[in-house]
Amino acid sequence: MSTDALDRDAGVQARVVAALAARALRSQFRRAQFLLPSFVLPLLLLAVVASGTSSARRLPGFPSTGAYVGFVVAGTLLQGALLAGLTAGIALAADIEGGFFDRLLTAPVQRVSIVLGRVSGSIVLGVVQASLFLAVAFLFGARYQGGVPGIALAIAIAALAAGGMAGLASAIALRTGSLSLLQNLFPIVFVFLFTAPAFFPRAFLGGALRHVTVFNPLTYVVEGIRGALHDAPALGNPWRGILAAVGLLAATTALSVLAMRGRLRTR
Amino acid sequence: MAPDAGTSAILVEDLVRTYPGGLRAVDGVNLRVDHGEIYGFLGPNGAGKSTTVRILTTLLRPTAGRAWVAGHDVVAQAGAARRVIGVALQEAALDPLMTGRELLRLQGALHGLRRTEAAARGDELLERVELVEAADRRVGTYSGGMRRRLDLALALVPRPRVLFLDEPTTGLDPASRAALWREVRALNDDGTTVFLTTQYLEEAEQLADRVGIIDRGRIVSEGTPDELKSRVGEPALHVDLVDPSQVERARELLAAHGECTNRREGGLTLRMSGARAIAPVVRTLDEAGIEVDTVEVETPTLDDVFLAVTGHMASGDGAGAEGGR
Repeated sequence: MSTDALDRDAGVQARVVAALAARALRSQFRRAQFLLPSFVLPLLLLAVVASGTSSARRLPGFPSTGAYVGFVVAGTLLQGALLAGLTAGIALAADIEGGFFDRLLTAPVQRVSIVLGRVSGSIVLGVVQASLFLAVAFLFGARYQGGVPGIALAIAIAALAAGGMAGLASAIALRTGSLSLLQNLFPIVFVFLFTAPAFFPRAFLGGALRHVTVFNPLTYVVEGIRGALHDAPALGNPWRGILAAVGLLAATTALSVLAMRGRLRTR
Repeated sequence: MAPDAGTSAILVEDLVRTYPGGLRAVDGVNLRVDHGEIYGFLGPNGAGKSTTVRILTTLLRPTAGRAWVAGHDVVAQAGAARRVIGVALQEAALDPLMTGRELLRLQGALHGLRRTEAAARGDELLERVELVEAADRRVGTYSGGMRRRLDLALALVPRPRVLFLDEPTTGLDPASRAALWREVRALNDDGTTVFLTTQYLEEAEQLADRVGIIDRGRIVSEGTPDELKSRVGEPALHVDLVDPSQVERARELLAAHGECTNRREGGLTLRMSGARAIAPVVRTLDEAGIEVDTVEVETPTLDDVFLAVTGHMASGDGAGAEGGR
């Protein structure tokens, strides 16, 4: 096999993606500053929201999902997915600033594999996160009428959203190469989160915000998760959630690949 | 393809790299490195060494000119070039959160090795660079020397035909430096071509078959260490006599061997021209009954060469900053 053919060999590139995804995951679990936003922060917010705003479920028209925590956990999954994706971008920016990215570039791998490795790592992390959050919420009274298929679907939507956010954060990292910029994007996550019906039904949101939610793809992601968990189409359409998450993933991964090409072209 | 591109390990023609802002870091570099050679690329900080290496390792595109590594154009055939090179860049770019073993296995995967192959190659290289005991420790806990050795091992994973080492011993203690030199020589003995940048003259002298001196983006002198040294002057012979009163007579006798000057009381310095053997000099004095106390030969060093061709010392300030190049 010629050297160029090796670079194009799908099996080889699949191994490269898997190895880079494994490294990305390892970094997540070994770096305290990544564990905090990916795991601790969403659970803290879940505790605050579930206890502090639980009286909201007594409002007329609030959907019935059993314990209130069962309703808001969808927002926790979304928050975790967004933060997991953002930390992927931070890790990539750290690689660029620290020189590890150059090591990847001197290896005979397709540049798209470097992006896919990072995004794949976030998808796997999204699965781990979502499973943990659902388990914790279960311990605190959440029940999932969707059963195992509904839980699996919800986890899949959350994981794909994590990959989507990783694609966006990676694109920013590749475009700017700035670790400090990525670190300062944390507040943006909350803007994305609160312009989607993460913790309240869309009908309960105020006028302008409700209009904004229509254009936020994360609206369909979080509603899809909720609908899948509770087997309740009125809460959200899981397949629309899958579609939104896949669309987000595809769009941001493409953006990231373009950013990689741009970065290499201007070197 | 240039006529020599296929037969040289590295061929560079009129290479230019200009950075945004107009800094011309590499300004028309031409060089050729033969297969199996250790080529020392010597220059101060900011001379253009690292920029040249980054172009040759496909990390940077040249503004003008062309370069081939193992016959592959580093721009048009970058993928093929990457498959035959090993690279250890100036700052050992290692993930501090990974262990040495994990990094080697990752490097194996990046070079297309299957999991078992990557594991075996990694274990083999850990032994080679004597990091077996530290293999499962996070790299963040490694000393500078260990990091450099691991970086070298990573560069060797793909069994490269051409190995690029960018200032591999900068910041290392003498023992670690000597160990790395031994390893570079061993690799070269196995047939690996080595392109080594350094700002240490001693390193170039110890390791390199040929040396290119780069200053302000241009190669200002090139040759074997001996050739370069011979260009700046002949060796000098310092002779101390047992009887200082015989100095003037000795000076007259030695004038036939070269330029002779008084050194200190009872001593002469002979700047030898042509033949460089000590024996005829000593024989001349001996036959005249002049007893010699000590004889010392002083040959020019690469320091002298560097000073002569660049006008400043290698360790001094370079032209501009190369940081980030």
